[in-house]
Amino acid sequence: MSVTERVDAIRRLVSSENRSRKELIEGVLFSLPYLAIFVVFLLYPLVMGGYMSLFDWNAITPAESTFIGLENYTTMFADPAFWNALGNTLYFVAITVPGIVVVALGLALGVNRDIKGKGILRTVFFSPYILTVSVASIVWIDLYSTQYGVINHYLGMVMSNPPQWLQSRLFAMPALAIMTMWWLAGFSFVILLSARQSVPEYLYEAARLDGAGSWRMFRDVTLPQIRHAIFFVIIINLVWGFQVFGQPYIMTGGGPGKTTETLVMYLYQAAFNQRSFGYAAAVGYVLTGILVVVSIANYYFLGGSND
Amino acid sequence: MTESTPSANRLASLSISDTSVRNALLHVVMYGAAFLFVLPYLWMISTSLMTREDAIASGMNWIPNPVSVGSYMQLFTGSLILEWTINTILIASVTTLLVLLCDSMIAFALTRLDWPGQRYVLGLIIASFMVPGFVNIIPLYSLISELGLINNYLAVILPFVAGPLGVFLLVQFFRDIPYELQEAAQLDGFSTVRIYTHVILPLSKSILSALGLFIFVWSWNQFLWPLIVLQNEAAYTLPIGIVVLRDTFTYQPSLTMASAILASGPLFVVFLLLQEQLIAAVEMQGVT
Repeated sequence: MSVTERVDAIRRLVSSENRSRKELIEGVLFSLPYLAIFVVFLLYPLVMGGYMSLFDWNAITPAESTFIGLENYTTMFADPAFWNALGNTLYFVAITVPGIVVVALGLALGVNRDIKGKGILRTVFFSPYILTVSVASIVWIDLYSTQYGVINHYLGMVMSNPPQWLQSRLFAMPALAIMTMWWLAGFSFVILLSARQSVPEYLYEAARLDGAGSWRMFRDVTLPQIRHAIFFVIIINLVWGFQVFGQPYIMTGGGPGKTTETLVMYLYQAAFNQRSFGYAAAVGYVLTGILVVVSIANYYFLGGSND
Repeated sequence: MTESTPSANRLASLSISDTSVRNALLHVVMYGAAFLFVLPYLWMISTSLMTREDAIASGMNWIPNPVSVGSYMQLFTGSLILEWTINTILIASVTTLLVLLCDSMIAFALTRLDWPGQRYVLGLIIASFMVPGFVNIIPLYSLISELGLINNYLAVILPFVAGPLGVFLLVQFFRDIPYELQEAAQLDGFSTVRIYTHVILPLSKSILSALGLFIFVWSWNQFLWPLIVLQNEAAYTLPIGIVVLRDTFTYQPSLTMASAILASGPLFVVFLLLQEQLIAAVEMQGVT
């Protein structure tokens, strides 16, 4: 490129009015493919859901739907099955979230130590996460099987009456939680391991000089340094936990006796078994409200509010 | 240390053996946990290679005897598993390509171009992180059926492409690419499109492959949404198909396990080859 061409190019760049119009057009054109899909398939349904939740929605001819105000919501809060599903979901969350965080943290700190085969261990602990929920579920149905399952075969050697797992009112939900920990802990493990590995080593040396033991180093160095990662892991597991569907749908069908019916299953049944779309949309909105409140509460109690 | 005393030496040797005991214990605990994590895979593989009778026989045989590939043959000849595999590969590939294309384009517009309103657009996309997937299921289903897209793969693909994760990760990455590179290219007369294709994209290969792999795995594994919009058995994806199969062939664990292996095998091979990229994508989510 000759000198005059270069000068011309610079001049074109600098003439700012042309430039800003050009960049506006280009900005819009580059954003368009994503934004079009985003608006049609995410924003519009989000608003539409709120609208539908105020109607006795006619799934076949939407134009013939009847406006009923907040009746879907009042019906929901009066329905014991809704409260049962909410309670079950809370129970599931209460077992899996602390379980996953503790297991993932333990594994991450272990792999971070001076141990042979770190790479293999990382692969092993992460690998179940790449399975689809249906593979994980059908494998664990058979592992839990009381006729030919591995678990009760070995439990039977040490106890006379091993649990009936998926058929038991008491053990069905913990069984789903155990399977979920195996399936999903790898994600949190990878995040916590990477956070631990980025803690600067001199902090530990300083603590060692101060005579800190391993417990104090964990409490005063590791935990504060990886606080954000722990916070993130708790939030994401809460969000997943409240949306649990595949495991109970495939493994227990919500049974025995609705003890494992979760909120999303309740929503799914309202929509696709009873064809009450407006009602199901209202359930979706309530669930979202719960999640937003949970996330905000976490933010204040655990998270970045104190930096 | 110059003034070490015998007692300090004894203490030192004691603490060495103490750490080696600890270290041995650490290995036992960690490899024990790893064994528990692997156990379900071993069970899958071994059961899938048993005859139907051996698989449901009481007692625990870990080694199939005789080794039988009958379940695999039965799946290939007596089920739609090949069609489901093709459907799944197709959906996951198209989704991944669309996500990479659309997300990188808008991330480019949001970070490398200067236009009014871009902050609001980015804010809106980030805010949509708060929207849990299921809240949209009902209105989306209504929309999809009005558009006549039930049983159409676009119904599975497009809502997935609308997700904000990729935009978010790419915006973080594109922001850190030095502006000097872009200015130099502009001075050389590069058009905006060429800056996108010849400067930004090549510099972002690592994050694009990490994101692409993550999206591929997620999209391969989707369950609830395809279950709702794919209502014709031939149109199923693997995750739905194998559940339906299991309901058809009750009490045939060898067949169920073989189907589970076929449904996760290809993904597992990809994972073992490219796990660094996949793990990088997960780590980025924790960092950002």
